[in-house]
Amino acid sequence: MARPKIAAVVTEYRQNAHAQHIVDRFLWGYKWQGRHHHPPMDLVSIYVDQFGDKGDGDMSRDRAKRFPTMKIYPTIADALTLGGEKLAVDGVVLIGEHGRYPRNEKGQTLWPRYEFFMQIVEVFRRSGRTAPVFSDKHLSWKWEWAKEMVDISKELDFPFIAGSSLPLNRRMPPVEISRDAEVEEIVGLAPGGVDGYDIHCLEGMQCMVERRKGGETGVVSMHALRHGAVFKAMATGSWEAGGWDPELFEACLCRSHTLMPAREGFNHILPRPEDIPPLLKETPVAYRYEYADGTRATMLLLEGLIHDFTFAARLKGQRDPLSLRLFTDGRNPRNFFNPQVNAIEQMILSGKPTFPIERTLLTTGLTAAGVESLWLGQKRIETPHLAIRYQPTEESTFWRS
Amino acid sequence: MTLTRRDFLKATSAAALSTPFLDVGGDFLAAEGELPKRIAIVATIWEYLSHAQHMGDRFLVGYPFAGKWRRPHIELVSLYVDQRPEGDQSEARAKEFGFKVYPTITEALRCGGDKLAVDAVVVIGEHGDYPRNEKGQKLYPRYEFFREIVDVFEKDGRAVPVFNDKHLSFSWQKAKEMVETSKRLGFPFLAGSSLPVTWRLHPLELPLECEIEEALMIGVGSSDAMDYHSLEAMQCMIERRKGGETGVKAVQMIQGDAVWKAGADGRWSHALLASALSRSDTMHGDSQRPQDLANNGDLPRLAQNPSAYFIEHNDGLHTTLLMLNGAVGDYTFAARVKGMKELQSTQFFLPRIPNVTYSACLVHKIVEMIETGKAPYPVERTQMASAVLDRCLDSKVTEHRRLETPELNIRYRAPRESQFCNT
Repeated sequence: MARPKIAAVVTEYRQNAHAQHIVDRFLWGYKWQGRHHHPPMDLVSIYVDQFGDKGDGDMSRDRAKRFPTMKIYPTIADALTLGGEKLAVDGVVLIGEHGRYPRNEKGQTLWPRYEFFMQIVEVFRRSGRTAPVFSDKHLSWKWEWAKEMVDISKELDFPFIAGSSLPLNRRMPPVEISRDAEVEEIVGLAPGGVDGYDIHCLEGMQCMVERRKGGETGVVSMHALRHGAVFKAMATGSWEAGGWDPELFEACLCRSHTLMPAREGFNHILPRPEDIPPLLKETPVAYRYEYADGTRATMLLLEGLIHDFTFAARLKGQRDPLSLRLFTDGRNPRNFFNPQVNAIEQMILSGKPTFPIERTLLTTGLTAAGVESLWLGQKRIETPHLAIRYQPTEESTFWRS
Repeated sequence: MTLTRRDFLKATSAAALSTPFLDVGGDFLAAEGELPKRIAIVATIWEYLSHAQHMGDRFLVGYPFAGKWRRPHIELVSLYVDQRPEGDQSEARAKEFGFKVYPTITEALRCGGDKLAVDAVVVIGEHGDYPRNEKGQKLYPRYEFFREIVDVFEKDGRAVPVFNDKHLSFSWQKAKEMVETSKRLGFPFLAGSSLPVTWRLHPLELPLECEIEEALMIGVGSSDAMDYHSLEAMQCMIERRKGGETGVKAVQMIQGDAVWKAGADGRWSHALLASALSRSDTMHGDSQRPQDLANNGDLPRLAQNPSAYFIEHNDGLHTTLLMLNGAVGDYTFAARVKGMKELQSTQFFLPRIPNVTYSACLVHKIVEMIETGKAPYPVERTQMASAVLDRCLDSKVTEHRRLETPELNIRYRAPRESQFCNT
């Protein structure tokens, strides 16, 4: 079989933009399973939506010069057809993260992922042929569009994966929820803010909880809190009383390697709830949501308290919570993109999605629901549209080699 | 017979071993009603982010392990600090946590009385203002601290477990004497670096009794601090080989371009270098992008005054430590193992400042020794790393010559169970 050709469709290609991290790995290779791995495929074309002003740090032209096999095309259709009439690549990598795009009144950045996707499938339709597609982070800021993207992928029957790199990364410890475990409650803890890091944390939580007994059943409600409401909820001491299980929150803190010391002169100390507010650098946020099978979930964004992603779950019949750090090493060259690029390669080589797109459809819906709940004044909302049922992959897909 | 809490925990941790996903890790909780074990800390200095602070504080405020905040049933009752620079926290800690700082080690161990009055001693002789010798070794008084501690043990007719942070001594002779003394007096003696017990990316452990054909470690940082950590990290991997550790017959340390020439001559394995580098999360280079540093020709330009430490073991195994400042920023290992198609490699992960969570992994081992009365891994590992480093630095100052080392005839077996943090 000839080496597959792939196209990249990106918003911008600057230092530390997702496009740089992902596309660079197709060009230079990356560390994988104890060696420097070169993907057995060629990234032959790229569409860049924003080059920025002169000297603005665009790297795509530099990359095209260094790798003449990769050509920059002026439109998405041209990138996919290599300037011809019909689809001429065997896979598409859509990276709609970073760049200058407007925000709406709810605070969501209007990344043009849906618009890019529609142009991609337009080429598929007129070529009578499709190719596997990867879409970075959440599918869209808008639930209806995300749903449509997944529906189209089913209709045209092409492999489609999306989401954060967090589900694919290392775990400390490297554990998985067993397929017969009943999960009562989960907590995820993350830095950052709404419409940015919430999706990463939700994806990290979802890749863990989807393996519970029966698989995924969908989400029935979302209640997002911010500011003082988060600490009020924390003080209640239980889900029933409007908060979350403090033991799960503490387990997350115990899995963090970046816990801001609550006292000067101490390098590592467990904060009491009252120690937390002064440590925060952004408005704290909590998404409390409930699954159809009764599993309860809380995602907490506490920027300033921690700088890593942690997760804890209360499993029925287990004395201690299961907990872990979903590991991403923030140091350059950001190797946490390695397993994501590898998952894309696997999909292109096998013609099968590496993990279910329904996971990212659900987390996209959760992100939008969280934003909506905040927008409505921290109002609990029913989410009948998130009755998304799916089964996880048989094998674990996180980085363990 | 009533089941004690310790019996219960023994039973549950044995059960946990059979369930691959849910090992919650060792709880060394004391039996109901048991008085806390009393410990003394003997330190060079106690200031923010010194080893004494980030390890000592864990006995005062607890530490995370296996997803729980542990508060060991251990009471820090006395402290000796050798130096009190600006920023000293010893008195403030003593006042807040109700222990006493004593002017001598002997008084600290006797808590001001006339007999040994603690159940364990934790020696943290790292950081502080001490001279360096011509080999570049910082002359921390760990041996002198140890001598004073065992003097008390001998005079008072009782010995208790001792932990010694980092290498036993800058001198192989002193390190040897310390180990021999601990055997003679029969007290548990644990020592060393946190690298052997911290998280590994990925969680590699070589099978016990495997045949290691060659091994290579990459480290960064200054001598004689970080080369020591690197040597001990490599030692904890290779000691699991068939026959265990058999001692070292010769060492050599070279620097500069000679390192690359030695590689070209086959003295160290390029394949192992590539394998170890594949585990690095911190490739430096001219641009922040993924790169094949082992093969793109940039390594000699990036590495500032590289050094290679060659170690020839009595059983024929040759191992190499490469210190590559400027090229990478982490600690990686690779080995060729007979019968395994792929090279085996990993990174010893050091969580960042200020939490430096690796020291929680190490303190958990100290707690284990204090609670069980047994050192979880042999002190000979640390003796070996201390002695190999000392003799490599002898080579450094004797025109980088290869030195025969009959005195490094240190033999021991690795612990059966893995000791690194993976739970």
